[in-house]
Amino acid sequence: MVPGVTRYARLMGGLARFTLAREMAFRGNFLVKVSVELLWMGILIAFYRTVFAKTSHIANWSEPDYFFFVGCFFALNGLIETLFLENCNEFAELVRTGDLDFLLLKPIDEQFLISCRRIDWGTAPNLVMGAILMIIALVQKGWVFDPTRVAAFFATFACGVAIAYSFMMMLTSVSVWMVRNTSLMEMWWLFSSLARYPREIFSGRWAEPLGNVFTFIIPILLVSNVPANVMVRVLDPGMVAWTVTVALASLWVSRRFFHVALRSYRSASS
Amino acid sequence: MPIIEVEDLTKTYRVFQKRDGLMGALRGLYRREYKEVKAVDRIGFSIEPGEMVAFLGPNGAGKTTTLKMLSGLVYPTSGDARVLGYTPWRREDAFRRQFALVMGQKNQLWWDLPAGDSFQLHREIYSIPKEEFDRTLGELVELLGVQKLTRQAVRELSLGERMKMELIAALLHGPKLLLLDEPTIGLDVVAQAAIQKCLRDYHESRGVTMLLTSHYMRDVEALCDRVIVITQGRLVYDGPLAGIIERFGESKLVRLQFEEPAPEGLERFGEVVRREGPFADVRIERARVAETLGALLNQHALADVSVEDPPLEEVIAKVFEEARLAHDAA
Repeated sequence: MVPGVTRYARLMGGLARFTLAREMAFRGNFLVKVSVELLWMGILIAFYRTVFAKTSHIANWSEPDYFFFVGCFFALNGLIETLFLENCNEFAELVRTGDLDFLLLKPIDEQFLISCRRIDWGTAPNLVMGAILMIIALVQKGWVFDPTRVAAFFATFACGVAIAYSFMMMLTSVSVWMVRNTSLMEMWWLFSSLARYPREIFSGRWAEPLGNVFTFIIPILLVSNVPANVMVRVLDPGMVAWTVTVALASLWVSRRFFHVALRSYRSASS
Repeated sequence: MPIIEVEDLTKTYRVFQKRDGLMGALRGLYRREYKEVKAVDRIGFSIEPGEMVAFLGPNGAGKTTTLKMLSGLVYPTSGDARVLGYTPWRREDAFRRQFALVMGQKNQLWWDLPAGDSFQLHREIYSIPKEEFDRTLGELVELLGVQKLTRQAVRELSLGERMKMELIAALLHGPKLLLLDEPTIGLDVVAQAAIQKCLRDYHESRGVTMLLTSHYMRDVEALCDRVIVITQGRLVYDGPLAGIIERFGESKLVRLQFEEPAPEGLERFGEVVRREGPFADVRIERARVAETLGALLNQHALADVSVEDPPLEEVIAKVFEEARLAHDAA
């Protein structure tokens, strides 16, 4: 177990180094990408500042709590985009051209190699900016250190990443049958749009059932809501347990689904 | 014990049949027609360790599909195969460590990075000890004469140089089995010869087993003693290279050099392929070569004579054609 983990960690380090070297070879592109990401976050913060200038709460979230939530989403989304999004987005092309062949031939877990082989350093600043935003929000709130909350935050944050990754892997796997899967980005955009708002916005006669659907059936709302909640609002053990269960189940289901999809891989003609 | 054992291996693809025109495309949205295509049809063979075998066939014969099943990339529809003692499509790590697949038309190296970086990543993936990695890399780089190119981005290499790097990447982990799918396609004769020499030397020093598909008969003649021919997904010949010429090469080419200009009337001995000055090439039925040569020597003054088998391309083309006619008739 330990040698396996060490080997994969070393490999991840190697992949990170080589992709950074590749990004640096096209530094203009890299700098533009980083600037766009930072600008996008700056616009969002300015927008929420304007909203909070007119009101003290949005859907029962105070300003520092809400900014913690925004930071949490940015960090989580940044992590997903840095590690997995570009790889998953390229998967359909690998299937279409048959270049997937070489990844399947390597004596290493296929899912790891396919979903982690390239690190998108251009989106990595979102992770850092998200973390900074969370720290500023905690300071503004006058948050008192609580090890239980911190542990619950990191656990549910990891679960959020796992749920989002599983969702992305299932979307990616469909490419084996569809070959051309341009809908992946649209579906991911829908996913991240739902995950970027507090669950409380789904209030009212029609919206509440929808909120329940996205919490218990297609559990997108767990991704950033639960970690932000356990840190700055209510630490609900039931919700933490549900998030952990969903994360483990979605990892298992997405892995099975990915392997079933690979069985149908036809490998494009050479 | 054979390194590859194949029994009744079959692969059928379901291929979408697109209708013509806009209306056809719209109808395809709700009702699709598919055709079953048998890419490989109940083939069987076995290969012993250390053999170098050519796997030949016309385009679309099923060669690459077979190689992909043997390397575990695609699942067969039916039949069985054991490669290095493993069922390939289970893709166990222990199996994948022991072989390599080189595809002449595809690229496994990182396009924007120097090949040397891809080799390092390869070392991590295959867990090759550093000393062994450095030694093997040094040997291969020298063998292929690419010492100065490993720090150059792959996209800036010529096709021949890139193919050499691909071959190095495939051999770094010391595979016991090498599957080569048209490794010299598109290369000039110098690069082809370099790749052939590398494969031959590597085979001699490591005793690696090779299964090679190629449309270049020079590759086959330079490397392989045994030939497996497949057409329309079916195996039509499995035997020694010399045997295929014996079986399908019905004629021999007799090259004559007369002491005077080549005479008229050589047609009565066989098909005259060339006549220039004192030189003439005549294709003669294999069974009549001795008798015809005797007659020629009796009737003409010859300065030189040689008897050659027909070019391998010609023999192989004949095998493909005969198999196609037999398939169409069936």
